[in-house]
Amino acid sequence: MAKVKINDVEIEVAPGTNMIDAAQQAGVEIPHYCYHPHLSIAGNCRMCTVETETPRGPVLEIACNMQARDGLAIRTDGDRVKQVRKSVMEFLLVNHPLDCPICDQSGECRLQDYYMDHARHDSRGVEAKVSKHKRQDIGEQILLDAERCVQCSRCVRFGDEVTHTGELRLMNRGDHTEIGMFPGERLNHDYQGNLADICPVGALTAKDFRFERRVWYLKETDGVCTGCSTGCNISVCHQEGEVFRYLPRRNDEVNKSWMCDPGRLRHHEVGGLERLLKARVNGQPGDGVAAAAASIKAVGAPKVALVLGTRASNEANWALAQLGKALGARLYWVAGNDAGAIEKSDGFLMDADKNPNTLGCRLLAEQSGAGDAEALKAALPELAVVLALEDDLVTRLGQAIPGLVALAAKESPTTKAAAVVIPVAHPVEMDCTYTNKQGRVQRNRRATNPLGDAAPAYAVVDRLAAALGKSLGTQMPVVTFLALSRAVPRMNGLDYKSLGPGGKLLAPAPAAALGGEAK
Amino acid sequence: MPLPKPQKTLSFAESSYLVEVIKGMVLTMGHLVKNIIDQDRFRTVEYPDVRKPMTARYRGAHRLTVRPDGHVKCVACMCCPTVCPAKCITIIAGEDPSDPAEKFPVEFDIDMLRCIYCGFCVEACPKDAIRMDTKIYEINAYTRQDMVHNKSYMINLMDGLKPEAEDVYRHDPAAAPAGYTSDEEPVA
Ligand code: SF4
Ligand code: SF4
Ligand code: SF4
Ligand code: SF4
Repeated sequence: MAKVKINDVEIEVAPGTNMIDAAQQAGVEIPHYCYHPHLSIAGNCRMCTVETETPRGPVLEIACNMQARDGLAIRTDGDRVKQVRKSVMEFLLVNHPLDCPICDQSGECRLQDYYMDHARHDSRGVEAKVSKHKRQDIGEQILLDAERCVQCSRCVRFGDEVTHTGELRLMNRGDHTEIGMFPGERLNHDYQGNLADICPVGALTAKDFRFERRVWYLKETDGVCTGCSTGCNISVCHQEGEVFRYLPRRNDEVNKSWMCDPGRLRHHEVGGLERLLKARVNGQPGDGVAAAAASIKAVGAPKVALVLGTRASNEANWALAQLGKALGARLYWVAGNDAGAIEKSDGFLMDADKNPNTLGCRLLAEQSGAGDAEALKAALPELAVVLALEDDLVTRLGQAIPGLVALAAKESPTTKAAAVVIPVAHPVEMDCTYTNKQGRVQRNRRATNPLGDAAPAYAVVDRLAAALGKSLGTQMPVVTFLALSRAVPRMNGLDYKSLGPGGKLLAPAPAAALGGEAK
Repeated sequence: MPLPKPQKTLSFAESSYLVEVIKGMVLTMGHLVKNIIDQDRFRTVEYPDVRKPMTARYRGAHRLTVRPDGHVKCVACMCCPTVCPAKCITIIAGEDPSDPAEKFPVEFDIDMLRCIYCGFCVEACPKDAIRMDTKIYEINAYTRQDMVHNKSYMINLMDGLKPEAEDVYRHDPAAAPAGYTSDEEPVA
């Protein structure tokens, strides 16, 4: 560990830690535009200038290009540092159009924040501002306003280092430097939304969020993307029960600071047209739980199959497995993707397995002796009731299923074929955990209340059990997860608190079990 | 801690209140006699036949101002709904069809039943797009829905009304008193 001194605070950090991050650990904020923890160092904005103690006395240096080493001492509160920040801000704002009233970045813009914190100068400009190209449509997800750009080159480095597509470039010289693309070129990758996130100002903004809502109205809740088995950490931005956008949340072990566009756009499904809000019994509105319980009672447990879901949370799968045990019904699980899934895998974040919890489901399936897709297919003729937990079984099995009871958040071929449909909560509407493809158990928190008659799947299963005269006690996710982690050896010792914001890896598999899980 | 003040004991004359009652009656009667002699002193306005002139700072119904070309000035920056303590302003923003780089209010509603006429929205606006200088205080309707003033209503609110001083000077800058400045462009 290296001992560094920031202002008057002495802390120990790993040697080589970037000094902006080290200062943050010491509780000192160093303002910066061009530094980003997951991009290379460019050192062009000069906003992070600090004073370093040297034998020659204090000298001005940029903190982003400084790595923690023993004895390093910096000051961020000297008059010279303050003057540098002020001057940097004045330069950046010389040609800035100041169109905050119509800019989507307003409220989370570093120019605004740093002006208030470090500059507060009056404009001394007398010449007309340099005008550049506004509202350029540069890709499916992104609009570019070159006038608002502060030439930090984050977007250029993102294209060079993360997506390796290198479309955006800084062109021309001096105050005519302009961010742009070669004529006729367009952004052509699945990670465009990140450009709007990393741009510290309003130059790159998201089309999907354009003029939708002012950011200061939005509340952020920690969630997990359920778009594929990568399980990127996200912030769900919502206001009064409506979800407006997903933003990637930093998790160095999973998604760094990024997420893919298909995952980002999934917020539309929360209140989308495909969303299931009311229970259906034989196509008519009705009490789904009572109807499902009645049909299970009528045929008797041996003719009932409960199918665990790879889209469902650990808690819901656990609840269903417990119900199966209590009833003596057969348990199955079926891998595969739902109808409409685009099975794209790019070796970066997007995975071909579009289910957020395949590993968690598989673990519980193995624990409770559930059969796989082949076993379910073979057993179909003997079955009278098949309960599908959030998965699109009809598509996965590729055949008709008798007596289908579907617990689902949105319409699918399965809900259309099902005799009984029970609406369940969307992931943003419940507290639960998912286990991603690395075997990382990650917590997803409730952002909004379930729409319509939906309830979290574990609570629906609990209700169903109650209607069948069994008591599961799985309506509370915290308690359910505790019971689950006690019963599953690889999850022993985990609880919601210990998962923390970044999740925890499962204990390593005992030999010969769960072979090729982590790649 | 300050000690409680001892209660003043009233004399007999004071505790009977008779002197004070008589003083009050003398004042009232004095005004009555003066008003009968000089009837212009009456404070009561015979509304609706007579209307009180409102002062320039009176906060009446809101209007949305327009640029000389008739385009609404509001850019849907959402400062006014943010500052509004009654949460009665609802704006749906969109791209301005005449210039998609610009933002403008597709819909702009104020629920006048919830408005508390504080004027914060006017203070907050960076574009001088919303004003309460109409001096309109008769804000009423038969249904709750009609009490929600929408964009076109608020743009056209001043049509057909007597132009107020500012608008007169705007149409005829030469008539304005020396030193008078208006931030609205003069109308040709
Ligand atoms: S567009 Fe944004 S990210 Fe790119 S250089 Fe300009 S300010 Fe930086
Ligand atoms: S890579 Fe997968 S988990 Fe990450 S944002 Fe995309 S769909 Fe969601
Ligand atoms: S006057 Fe006050 S309460 Fe009424 S709309 Fe404006 S800010 Fe809201
Ligand atoms: S503050 Fe002014 S410009 Fe902004 S939304 Fe309100 S009326 Fe429109």
